[in-house]
Amino acid sequence: MAIAILRRLAGAAPAPAFPAIGAGMRAAADDLFLDGRLIRADSIRHARILLVAGPVREADQDDIRRLHDQMLHPRATLWWKSNPVPDFAEPATCDEDDPVAAIEAIHRALIEGARDSEPDILPNEPPNPWRGKGDYGQGGEGMMGGTPYGRPMAMTDDDLRDGLALDAYTAPFGPFLPMLPPGLKLSVTLQGDVIQTAKLLRPPSAQAEAYDGTVTALRALGRFLPILGLEAHAVRCLEAARSLSAGKPIELAKIRQFLFWSGALAAIPSGIGMVEDTDVRMRVERWLAALDESPTGGLDGSATMSPLKPARLVDLLRGREWSEAILIVNSFDTDTLISLAPVEAEDAETEGRAREDGIRMDHEGHGTHAHGATGT
Amino acid sequence: MALEGLAGALVIAFVAASIATVIRLAPSGSAESLTEPQKTPFLGGGAPDTHAWQRYHIRYYPMTLLFIAFEMEMMFMYPWAVVFVEEGGKAMMEMGMFLAILSVGIVYGWREGIFRWQ
Repeated sequence: MAIAILRRLAGAAPAPAFPAIGAGMRAAADDLFLDGRLIRADSIRHARILLVAGPVREADQDDIRRLHDQMLHPRATLWWKSNPVPDFAEPATCDEDDPVAAIEAIHRALIEGARDSEPDILPNEPPNPWRGKGDYGQGGEGMMGGTPYGRPMAMTDDDLRDGLALDAYTAPFGPFLPMLPPGLKLSVTLQGDVIQTAKLLRPPSAQAEAYDGTVTALRALGRFLPILGLEAHAVRCLEAARSLSAGKPIELAKIRQFLFWSGALAAIPSGIGMVEDTDVRMRVERWLAALDESPTGGLDGSATMSPLKPARLVDLLRGREWSEAILIVNSFDTDTLISLAPVEAEDAETEGRAREDGIRMDHEGHGTHAHGATGT
Repeated sequence: MALEGLAGALVIAFVAASIATVIRLAPSGSAESLTEPQKTPFLGGGAPDTHAWQRYHIRYYPMTLLFIAFEMEMMFMYPWAVVFVEEGGKAMMEMGMFLAILSVGIVYGWREGIFRWQ
C-alpha cells in the first residue's frame, strides 16, 4: 500500500532524461528542457531515460550503445525524430515537436513497473582479460604493470607546463558530453587538468542557426553561462531566445544588464582561444553587444562566417587547463567550430607534429608557460 | 553480579541483532551488481584506454606549504606571548630558533616562486 503510493509519487516526479543530440536538434533540445516536467541529467548515470534527439551518425552508433548500457536500471530510450540504432529491441519513437508527454508516460510506466527496464546491448566483460594474473591478481607483473579492471595503467609522459613528467591520461571525450557541442569527439591527453595534446576524432554535427542574430547570441549565451556556473542566467537567455523566435517581445536591455552585473566577463581568463585577434572574452562581449542591436541586424558577419582555415581547434586547446578548454570550445558557434575542426587523414601526423613543436616554442616565449612557474 | 552479567549479555545480543538486521536490509553490494559498461567512466559515449589510477601534480602544494609556515608561526606566537612575560629572554631565544626553522620553508617557497604574483 505504502509502496504503491510512493511509486505513484515517484512516477509523477520530473523525469530525469539525458539528451544525446544529433544534427539540427540542439536548439530544440535546449528548449525542451526548459519544461519543468523534465530534468536535464548532466551524466547518463543520473538519467532514467536516454533521449536520442535527431539522426544518429553511423560513427556514433557505438557511443549510443555504450551510453545506453551505462544507464542504471530501470531505464528506457526514446528516439525523438531519430532513426533507432540496430540492436535496440522494440524502440520507442516520437516524431512530434513536443515529446514531453511521451517522456513522462515512459517514465511513469518504468517507475510503476508497467514497462520493463531495457536489457544490456554490449557484452558484460572487461575490455581485456586480467583477473588473477600477477602477485595481487592485478593482471600483470611489477608496480606499473598489469591491467586492473581490464585497462592498462597510465604511463609517464612529458609535461608541457613545468616539465614534471607524471602519468598522462588519454581518453576520448564526446560525442555526447554535455559540456561539448553535440557530435564533437576529441581524444585528449591530460596531465592532471592540463591538456597536453588533443586530437579530433569527429567534428560536431551541423546545427541550423537562427536567422535572427539576437536569437543566435541568446542561445550561445545560454550554453556558455552554465560553464561559468550561472545556470539561472542561462535559463533566462534560453527562455528569451524561445520567446523571441515565437515573435514575443522581450526586454533585451534588462537581460544584458543582468549579464553585465553577473560578472561573467570577469570570470573568463583573457587571451585564451585566440582566433583572428579575438579571444573568448571578446566573443562573449560580441554576443552581449548583439543583444543591443536591432533584432534584424544580426551578428557581425565577418567574424562568424569567414572561413577560419589557418586556426585549428586542437592547437587552441593545447597547453590549456580543462576549464579554459571548455570555455574555448563553447565560445564558437557550430559552423565556425566545424571549420576549425577539419577531420585529418592519418598521414598528416608528421606535419601536425612539426606544427606542435612550433607552438611549444611560441608558448615558452610567453611568461605563462615558463619553466618553474607555479600557482598558475 | 549475575544480574549485571545478564544485562551485559542482553546489550551485546541487542547490538548484534541490530547490526545483523541492518546488514540484512542494506541493498546488497551495489558495486557487485554493476555491469562492465556501467563501471566505465562517463565520457559522453567513449571508453578510456587506460586505467584512471595515475599520478598527477598537485599544483597548489607550494601554497599549502606557505600557509602552514605562516599559520604555525601565528599558532605558537599567541601562547608564547603569555610565556614570554614570565620567562623573558629564554622564551625569546626559543621563539627565535622556532622561527629560524620555519623560515627555511619560506625560503624554499621563495625559491620555488610562490611570491611571484600571476
